[in-house]
Amino acid sequence: RSPQRCGCSEAAGAEDWLLLELQGEVEPRQGRALPGSLLGDLHYTQQGIPVLVVGHHVLYGKVVPLEKPLAVLEKRGADYAVTALVHTKLLFKTRPKPIVTHVPRKV
Amino acid sequence: SLVIRGEKDEQAVLCSKDKTYDMKIADTSNMLLCVPGCRTPEQLKADGESCDIIHAQIAGFSNNYWELRRCRPKLKKLRKLLMEDPYEGPDSAKDQASTTSRYTTEDLLNVVQASEEEIMHQLQALDACQIEGYWRILNFDYEVKLLNHVTQLIDSESWSFSKVPLNICLQELGPLEPTEMIEHILLSYGRKYTDGGEVYFEMNEDKICRTTAQMLLKNAVKFNLADFQEVWQQSVPEGLTTRLDQLKGLALMDRSSRPETISMLKVEDLPEDNQERFNSLFSIRKKWTEEDITPYIQDLCGEKQTVGALLTKYARSSMLNGVKVYNSRRPIS
Repeated sequence: RSPQRCGCSEAAGAEDWLLLELQGEVEPRQGRALPGSLLGDLHYTQQGIPVLVVGHHVLYGKVVPLEKPLAVLEKRGADYAVTALVHTKLLFKTRPKPIVTHVPRKV
Repeated sequence: SLVIRGEKDEQAVLCSKDKTYDMKIADTSNMLLCVPGCRTPEQLKADGESCDIIHAQIAGFSNNYWELRRCRPKLKKLRKLLMEDPYEGPDSAKDQASTTSRYTTEDLLNVVQASEEEIMHQLQALDACQIEGYWRILNFDYEVKLLNHVTQLIDSESWSFSKVPLNICLQELGPLEPTEMIEHILLSYGRKYTDGGEVYFEMNEDKICRTTAQMLLKNAVKFNLADFQEVWQQSVPEGLTTRLDQLKGLALMDRSSRPETISMLKVEDLPEDNQERFNSLFSIRKKWTEEDITPYIQDLCGEKQTVGALLTKYARSSMLNGVKVYNSRRPIS
């Protein structure tokens, strides 16, 4: 018998992380790898609405508190350690709007 | 702390100190990106406004996550393991044998998919005891032998069943059996209490009657019900009264046959999975009344599921001679 018993250490020292939920997939620019690449810029409006600018698209989202918090587990040998807890996510589910450069009005 | 338990052929469960959870993968078509230290608008307001750019890194991303759902601890395996080598007494030659099918607490924690508290609670319910560090269940014949020593002593001393003195039991029965076993059988069949500085046991009369019934039923396929009731009452210790409701989850009566019969059916011998349990019950008997089936599905009830809810989900009801009965939703071969 090879028992699979994996222990998880206390979550007391766990950090607080945020989750970003996007529809579809994220692809790096041609020729680049995902690690190290810039995803985009995250802003919050005065009303607290998150705005994500990715490439030439802008996405509007909302701050959603999670019904059940998530725990991020990191495998260390045969044990799992609770690295972080997630209580909130930024959900982006509206269609990305392309940012069009300002076109001057006809004079 | 949390532990994930399960062997290669089992579905993993997550256990806290006292609860067990099924682990299910929740797939989402969305991408979930984890960002350490990213602030929410509320947190930024609380921190005070600054115009610095915060460089945050995405630690990782995923399409899925594990969802936990509280479940019944998977304890059938515990009994199965302990039944591999039941304890037959100190004189048994078997006791000299190897200890490969014997389990310590640590061994059990490694292979039983339940929390530690749930396991310890079940060990008590099974009347298991620790012998030389291993958890053992008593072989039924040995258990009956020990019980008979006690009931015969109660009879010869004319004690009340609710006040059995520990010290005299140990004194009188010590020459016959190990003192740990005498105390163990008293604890299994009685409630310990002290009175005037002495330790006594209030015996569980129903449990004594139940074990006597099991002794009678185990070697016969079926018993004529009327005959059984007579023999059973005669077999129990003087002063105890037998009642059919003492046999819930142990024996099943057939009141439709002529003559009426009774046979052994132990709930702990039935499958643990809900659907398999119902399949098994319906292959034993096509139609069940709620009263008859309840003792055989009671243990499936969880925090949110009642017997009624289980019957609605896994059975179909109909009327038979003015009585509501339940049968299988699907044909049983």
